[in-house]
Amino acid sequence: MTTKLPLCLTMGMALLATVAQAQLIEKTALTLEGAKKIAAVAEAKARAEGARVVIAVVDEGGSLLFLERLDDTQVASVNVGIDKARTAAIYRRPSRVFEDQVKNGRVSALALHGAVALQGGVPIIVGGKVIGAIGVSGETPGQDEGIAIAGATVAASFTKP
Amino acid sequence: MKHITAAVTAVIIAVLASISYAESVTDKRGLTLEGAKKVIAATVAEAKRVNAPGGSIAVVDDGGNLLALERLDQTFAASANISIGKARTAALFKKPTKLFEDVIKGGRTPMIALGGDLQNFTPLQGGIPIEWEGKIVGAVGVSGAASAQQDEELAIIGAKSLDNMEMAGMTNWHAPLPVTYIESQKVVASFTKGAVLVGEDENMMHAALNYMVHASHRDKPGVVEVHELDTDIVYVLKGSAQLITGGTPVGTKTIAPHEFRAPTVNGGETRSLVPGDVVIIPNGVPHWFKEVEAPFDYYVVKVR
Repeated sequence: MTTKLPLCLTMGMALLATVAQAQLIEKTALTLEGAKKIAAVAEAKARAEGARVVIAVVDEGGSLLFLERLDDTQVASVNVGIDKARTAAIYRRPSRVFEDQVKNGRVSALALHGAVALQGGVPIIVGGKVIGAIGVSGETPGQDEGIAIAGATVAASFTKP
Repeated sequence: MKHITAAVTAVIIAVLASISYAESVTDKRGLTLEGAKKVIAATVAEAKRVNAPGGSIAVVDDGGNLLALERLDQTFAASANISIGKARTAALFKKPTKLFEDVIKGGRTPMIALGGDLQNFTPLQGGIPIEWEGKIVGAVGVSGAASAQQDEELAIIGAKSLDNMEMAGMTNWHAPLPVTYIESQKVVASFTKGAVLVGEDENMMHAALNYMVHASHRDKPGVVEVHELDTDIVYVLKGSAQLITGGTPVGTKTIAPHEFRAPTVNGGETRSLVPGDVVIIPNGVPHWFKEVEAPFDYYVVKVR
């Protein structure tokens, strides 16, 4: 009996573990280190172009992980950069999509909760999943997005070998 | 006529500009991204040193606008915005945010309503202004460490780190000390009896605090000396002596803090010193001028 009890417990726990497995999901999360790598590449491109921008990197939930405002960048870009990144993260698509929708007549896209319909936010994708986003603000919409894409591309190197 | 008016206007503007520059605008120092990153790096280093469970660190400029932010892994997401709020509040009021937390806690509840007009007003401990040459150039805010107290401690370390920033590529920069100049006459006079040239006492009450210079003179043998802190760099100028270094001092007495003397030593190495010789005796090594052919003069730099 005394030997059977631990056996029962083990079996029970194993069963619970399988159940728990069904209740939870494995996720890849962006670290600060990863965010910095992404921002560094974006920063290099911005500097090469003489662009004065804010570079914001948010996690999957749209919360800020890393931000830098290059010298002499307009201060308003801080919040715009964060907003673009959050939009791309929580809607899992480039924020340009919503700007295009508005331009093409779907003005109601402006009402999307937590989104800004402004080009320059790009999702960070690892293993086909959006794990965060980078938002850039300060120069023209096209240039902002180009810098953001340069940064987001780095995530391709984060995939497990 | 139009041309003349334009010319006159230009002249007036030029004159006004030169007169009113001084009173209409002023020069100020602004925090760069480079500076903000150094503040964050110092804060993160301290967080790791004290094993803080996490932390968001935000650095804002003097207008309260975000310059740089880092959220350490595993730190709760809301801390990012709270750290920005703390930094912004500290910058815009030029005060540590603990002050507002204390004032509100002390009963001045209406102060919470400041939040209505001030975007992201955060009266919570953990925001510290960053000073440069007596002026507030920004602030650092920390949220997500072990406690509000630790948030603030980390922020203080970060804010202070700006004082240690490299100036024009200099490392270990500090305010320059005055240059010391001692006339040859005074130096010669000091050697006749032996004197301290720089550093007034055993505690090195010289501005530099890490060196002394002695004009040493001996007519007869000395005792065994051990300096716990000071390394002696000796340059022999006149006379000769037998120097014993190392060994085990016998009958050691403490004559001053970090200073030991003994009448004799067991073992050790013997050297004959003559003018022109240089000897470096590291701190903690016993040394003894056992035999002296007077006058024995030697220049000593004591390094602490």
